[in-house]
Amino acid sequence: MKVSSWTYARRISQSFCLALFLWLFLQTEYRGIDQLPYPVSLLFRIDPLAALADFLAPGPFNLTLLWPALLVLLLTVVLGRFFCGWVCPLGATLDGCGKLVGRGRRAFSPGWRRVKYYLLIVLSVATLFGVQLLGLFDPLAIFLRSLTLALYPAYNYGLNRAFDFFYEHQTPLVNDAYPLFRDYLMAFHQPVFALGLFTLLIFLAIILLERVEQRFWCKNICPLGGLLGLCSRFALLQRTPKTLCADCRDCDTLCRSGAVSAGSYRRGECLLCMDCTGYCPADRVSFNMKSTPAVGPGVDLERRGVLTALASGVVIAPVVKIGPVVGDQNPYLLRPPGAVAEAEFLQRCVRCAECMKVCIGLALQPALLQAGPVGLWTPLVVPRNGYCEYNCTLCGQVCPTGAIAPLDLPRKKKAVIGWAVFNKDRCLPYAKGIECLVCEEHCPTGEKAIVFEEKEVLVDGELRRLKFPKVVDKLCIGCGICETKCPIEGASAIRVINEGESRRKRLAASTDPYA
Amino acid sequence: MSHIDRRTFIRRSIQTAVATAAVGALPSLDLLALPVHAAVSPPLAVRKGSDIALLVRQTITALGGMQAFVSPGEVVVVKPNIGWDRSVELAANTHPEVVKTLVLLCLEVGAKQVRIFDRTCNDERRCYAQSGIRAAVETIKSDRVSLEYMDRRAYQELEIRGGRAFDRWEFYQPVLEADRLINVPVAKHHSISRLTLGMKNLMGVIGGNRGRMHSNIAEALTDVSSVIHCDLTVIDATRILVANGPQGGRTEDVRNTQTLIASPDIVAADAYATTLFDLKPEDVSTIVAAAKRGLGVMDLKQVRMV
Repeated sequence: MKVSSWTYARRISQSFCLALFLWLFLQTEYRGIDQLPYPVSLLFRIDPLAALADFLAPGPFNLTLLWPALLVLLLTVVLGRFFCGWVCPLGATLDGCGKLVGRGRRAFSPGWRRVKYYLLIVLSVATLFGVQLLGLFDPLAIFLRSLTLALYPAYNYGLNRAFDFFYEHQTPLVNDAYPLFRDYLMAFHQPVFALGLFTLLIFLAIILLERVEQRFWCKNICPLGGLLGLCSRFALLQRTPKTLCADCRDCDTLCRSGAVSAGSYRRGECLLCMDCTGYCPADRVSFNMKSTPAVGPGVDLERRGVLTALASGVVIAPVVKIGPVVGDQNPYLLRPPGAVAEAEFLQRCVRCAECMKVCIGLALQPALLQAGPVGLWTPLVVPRNGYCEYNCTLCGQVCPTGAIAPLDLPRKKKAVIGWAVFNKDRCLPYAKGIECLVCEEHCPTGEKAIVFEEKEVLVDGELRRLKFPKVVDKLCIGCGICETKCPIEGASAIRVINEGESRRKRLAASTDPYA
Repeated sequence: MSHIDRRTFIRRSIQTAVATAAVGALPSLDLLALPVHAAVSPPLAVRKGSDIALLVRQTITALGGMQAFVSPGEVVVVKPNIGWDRSVELAANTHPEVVKTLVLLCLEVGAKQVRIFDRTCNDERRCYAQSGIRAAVETIKSDRVSLEYMDRRAYQELEIRGGRAFDRWEFYQPVLEADRLINVPVAKHHSISRLTLGMKNLMGVIGGNRGRMHSNIAEALTDVSSVIHCDLTVIDATRILVANGPQGGRTEDVRNTQTLIASPDIVAADAYATTLFDLKPEDVSTIVAAAKRGLGVMDLKQVRMV
């Protein structure tokens, strides 16, 4: 099969974008500078679905953060789905892995391609009514989530074990390379995530769909592809010929996006891979900019399907909203510092996992059901896993949709994630008459939020003078270092709960409605 | 306080050095397992001054100079307190200028390698940067100096003979292997051990769940000190943290004391440092426990001020 220079250009662009996003991914880590020097969450700032989530969330549209996404939409209106063919890292991954897993050439019913539009409609309408699930299906979020929660931790685990092996066997050359890897190519602390396997399986499933049909995900399911397809209806970049030629069926069988079929070329489906400029035996195919949008066949949606999708979207929101307030049911629902109020947080968070990648103390973990049925993959502070560093503002810096507000350091130090509470049945001085106070030692607020009282108590018939810790609510910010460092085994004897969190709305005069 | 003349001091220093070197040269003798017996009247230098580099040099010179502690070709570990993500003026970490000057002194007397590290409480990358110690060490520009993150794989579990709180614990191998250890704590308030000084600073070279030590801090720290011998303890009291320690965070809890305390006897150095907080050595249980076990002298009358 002949390959045109356009195809090479496209592959170079895909490789470059993939490399760029991987490089930015590696830079999404504290490397000695408090302000991240690169726009590490660029992938989501160019993401029209993230922009849609932000647009439909309360408050004004965050133009300073998300103008690149509007630029992508604008370019799509002119060029068509260039993003899918030339930029999208998930698309590039699928193209790259296709050879590896084997490409299916099963001719699927063209009706399947409507699924992505219906899905887009369902998700958009649900978002409009206050339940944002775009992030679950956003290809960019899927890509970064899989990297953050599964692939990168696995990569680090593998390298760490390999370096450990050579360390134990005292191999000088390999051992000397370790600091270089640790400082530039690996995570400083081995990432630990609960949903690694689950996230990986979804990623693998999307890749394995290549075996069914090339770019199955992009053609049939991807709601971002659907959105960009809708925008490219009147693209000025146009393909000649406009239909399948009478003497040849190559485009029908070879087109990866199934855009060219008998009697029509669907611009909304074309991924602009440009392969047809190469494989056309007669060199008839070309793409040219025209001054006027051509009228061609649009999206072949069925009215019944659209109405069903609209209705489903409308129904989802109220059904989700009649559920109980999750934060009241689960006191350990803790959000990163700067997170907006829970309802708005769920509307803004696109589950991109950038915050979990950047969190210096591994405090942020993806939720499965802890944040309710629609909170999947949203970030939770899990202090037994890691605590929120007092002087760190990274999660707010990387959040692309303002779900976590970018707080400057003085404000971040005042942002209350929750309050720490002792379990006196397990805390050593209370439960066993043993001195401890590790929590007090680590408490980072200038005036400590954990203080102690010295009391004489009878322990096993012997009078002991012990220091009993207690929490000062008005000073506690719920950073959770006490929970991380509590020296007892298993669950900590001091745990942060979401009482007192800054993002909750309460009466201005008092935190206690009964005071 | 007994005074000795310069000749006697030099003679005694040389004798001690020769004796130490001779004992250390015996390969069969497991030094680590033996309790370190305190010198009868250990020297202790205390100096005051606002020029920190000068202050360090004066204090070490009073003890006979760095050559009394480090010989050419030796590997030296300088162990400051870099435990917290706090800036210099908050007095939670050893002053970077103190660390830097001590490293320079080691280089000047011909140390082969000077390694600097601490097992931090906050993220080590933040602590090394925020404490100012990374920047200070980098100005030295010598390939003989390295500020290192501690290697999680390099801890070795050892038996603590005669341990009262623990009979086994993990220790950091590079410290065990180094020829010399210079312990450079910062003097701070601490709620469990009352003060954190030289002995508490050695918690930065051990592994394991360190929080468990709090249940019997005096004996636990004495156990650690019975395994890890410091050739020199230099207590940074250029500014001290008198409340909300050991992490601090408020300048109102910091006192500007402009003092440096140094001694080859860790207990003596710690004992003297208590006086800066208007306490007595016997107020700090760790010092009492260590003195009882013969790790050093806590009676300041028996200490030789130089």
